[in-house]
Amino acid sequence: MAAVATCGAGAGGTESMAAATSKSNVTSFQRRGPRASGTDSGGPRLVSIAGTRPSVRNGQLLVSTGLPALDQLLGGGLAVGTVLLVEEDKYSIYSPLLFKYFLAEGIINGHTLLVASAKEDPADILQELPAPLLDDSCKKEFDEDVCNKKPESDIKMKIAWRYQLSPKMEVGPVTSSRFGHYYDVSKRIPRELIETSKWHGFFLPEKMSSADKVECCSLTPGYMKLLHFIQNIIYEEGFDGSNPQKKQRNILRIGIQSLGLPLWGDDVCCSENCDSSHSLSKFLYILRGLLRTSLSACIITMPTHLIQNKAIIARVTNLSDTVVALESFVGSERETNPLYKDYHGLIHIRQIPRLNNLICDESDVKDLAFKLKRKLFTIEAEWTVRERDRKKGLPLPLVHPPMAAAASALQPAHRPDPKPGAGYFFLVSHGVQGPSTWAILHCTPGP
Amino acid sequence: MPSEGAAGCGRWSEMLESLLALGGLVLLRDSVEWEGRSFLKALIRKAALSGEQVRILGCEVSEEEFREGFDSDVNSRLVYHDLFRDPLNWSKTGEAPPGGPLGALRAMCKRTDPGPVTIAIDSLSWLLLRQPCTTVCQVLHALSHRTPCPGHSPAVEQVRVLGLLHEELHGPGPVGALSSLAQTEVTLGGTAGLDSAHIVFRRPRQRPTHQTQWFSILPDFSLDLQEGPRLECQPHPDPYTSPVDPTTHLTFNLRLSKKEKEARDGLTLPFQFSSEKQQALLRPGQGQAASHIFYEPDAYDDLDQEDPDDDLDV
Repeated sequence: MAAVATCGAGAGGTESMAAATSKSNVTSFQRRGPRASGTDSGGPRLVSIAGTRPSVRNGQLLVSTGLPALDQLLGGGLAVGTVLLVEEDKYSIYSPLLFKYFLAEGIINGHTLLVASAKEDPADILQELPAPLLDDSCKKEFDEDVCNKKPESDIKMKIAWRYQLSPKMEVGPVTSSRFGHYYDVSKRIPRELIETSKWHGFFLPEKMSSADKVECCSLTPGYMKLLHFIQNIIYEEGFDGSNPQKKQRNILRIGIQSLGLPLWGDDVCCSENCDSSHSLSKFLYILRGLLRTSLSACIITMPTHLIQNKAIIARVTNLSDTVVALESFVGSERETNPLYKDYHGLIHIRQIPRLNNLICDESDVKDLAFKLKRKLFTIEAEWTVRERDRKKGLPLPLVHPPMAAAASALQPAHRPDPKPGAGYFFLVSHGVQGPSTWAILHCTPGP
Repeated sequence: MPSEGAAGCGRWSEMLESLLALGGLVLLRDSVEWEGRSFLKALIRKAALSGEQVRILGCEVSEEEFREGFDSDVNSRLVYHDLFRDPLNWSKTGEAPPGGPLGALRAMCKRTDPGPVTIAIDSLSWLLLRQPCTTVCQVLHALSHRTPCPGHSPAVEQVRVLGLLHEELHGPGPVGALSSLAQTEVTLGGTAGLDSAHIVFRRPRQRPTHQTQWFSILPDFSLDLQEGPRLECQPHPDPYTSPVDPTTHLTFNLRLSKKEKEARDGLTLPFQFSSEKQQALLRPGQGQAASHIFYEPDAYDDLDQEDPDDDLDV
């Protein structure tokens, strides 16, 4: 990735290496040179771009997606130079929210935005971004949420000490506001913030004239134009390091809404054996090439429920780096299921990239549900009784066996005569259909 | 009865109003058993009676047949573009607009008179069979999201596009693509003599709302709302009415008395890390009184302290 490679193993590397990478390197290793010598330019300077931070695992430069809960699930944030693909929910109610969070985060951090859509005018999209919650008002918002919780949740569980150290999902605001902000969905972003920010819009109906019917290299004209547009912006504004200006480097946040709709001229949603079946894959491939060589991050929302050919969905998933799918309960039988009454849908993390790495930073919690509260979009681990769902024959999402705290799923400790007052909960349990190895690993208590 | 009739009139009028109010694309999905042209004509009549201009792109039936059944004042408000008689413009009379049917649609889009406009397409299936789906979608999107032309007042131009789609003619792809574009979707169906319309309102950025209405269409294309069929058939068994009570047949006690609760809270759990535990771990000698090893040798045990491996011949 351009400009963000870290000197992994070469901690405190040689002078030449440090000098060569000093100007454009972001590394967490700082050379402790002799300050007394007076030279200011000895050793690599920590170049930090606003709104980014290096990953704690491998130093990869990350930007926030706008939702701190999602950042945590993706291993700290979205890596610069990668694509975040959001598979839209059926009626496209919640995926525009993720899109807007991403863009709003860009505005708050002062990044440059590029918004592309075939459906809505980018200026209208920007008007509807959520307003940021400033630090002092954050606390009030969360306090009111806490008060609404039921009193039973106040009873603290006595957790075996070994599990006390496991990280909890962060639902509240972080105190440092440099990475990952909170937004109020019920309010619009102030106009001044939009006006002071730098953004480029690509609205397909305006860019396409009816005379362009030429299709070259099997890429739909709409996609071709978008790629040219992105390439021009990257080149002209120097995101790929082509203009070695002295001014501060910045990140380009690209947002492409509802890619693959017939409005783009792509018939991947219309038929199973479509003529331009490779158009979408080519677009993603070229886009990823553009992103890898520039300081940019991209979010794409795609209505995969409309795509007829499942092989294309698999290809699209492979060509993207991070893939998150939203599944809303609207219109499905789960809407009336009392187990899911607290949530509006499920969120599936389908893929996390392995960048310069052999493993990826998966979170342990696999069942995630989201809820759109009045002001916030929250993602929480889902605590449900799967057994009841299974008995009713309802389809279960393919996730790992959950950590269930409900009594009926607990395998009781085989005590013939339960003493009053004695007994403690295991934090995890296994399903009634049989012990699963995953659960047993966690059940083994420490010495 | 007149009172019922009056109430019925109000309700059907409301229902059609709500369908027309949202603007954008109203997709009417019909099938062979439940035809939708009458419903389309009912909507057109409603729009015309409220004083709007209605432009119709007629492809499947002739103009005379389409206008049949409408009153004269409704007919005077309809602007009919006939593609049925001469779809490929072979007679070259110069009446047909250039660009074929989509060109005709685009031309409708450009003629901006002030006031809301309703465009009815009979039918979208005809267009989908002759034009690529993507182009049809793009034109429909351009129609429903028309930017106000310069020179005219920038007042909100409500454009409604009523499209009739015979869903059996198409695969799930085009139907899905058009539904994603539509603001309102009406699926016609019914049972045993009664027609029903299942309506889905997709307001932008809000959850879609569903509604089912039973109706019958009168000869003058006004709607008469009916009650649904008798509910003897399929009362949907709610799968969640009788939840399995998970607290039965447990081997441990879920309801504790106060004393039991106190006893439980006073118990130090083995894996809780408290300061006493820490002390006990750091100073192992003190807690010895609690742990004894009781060993009773049986006949086979060898209490010889020597190394048992000495016996081996290795």
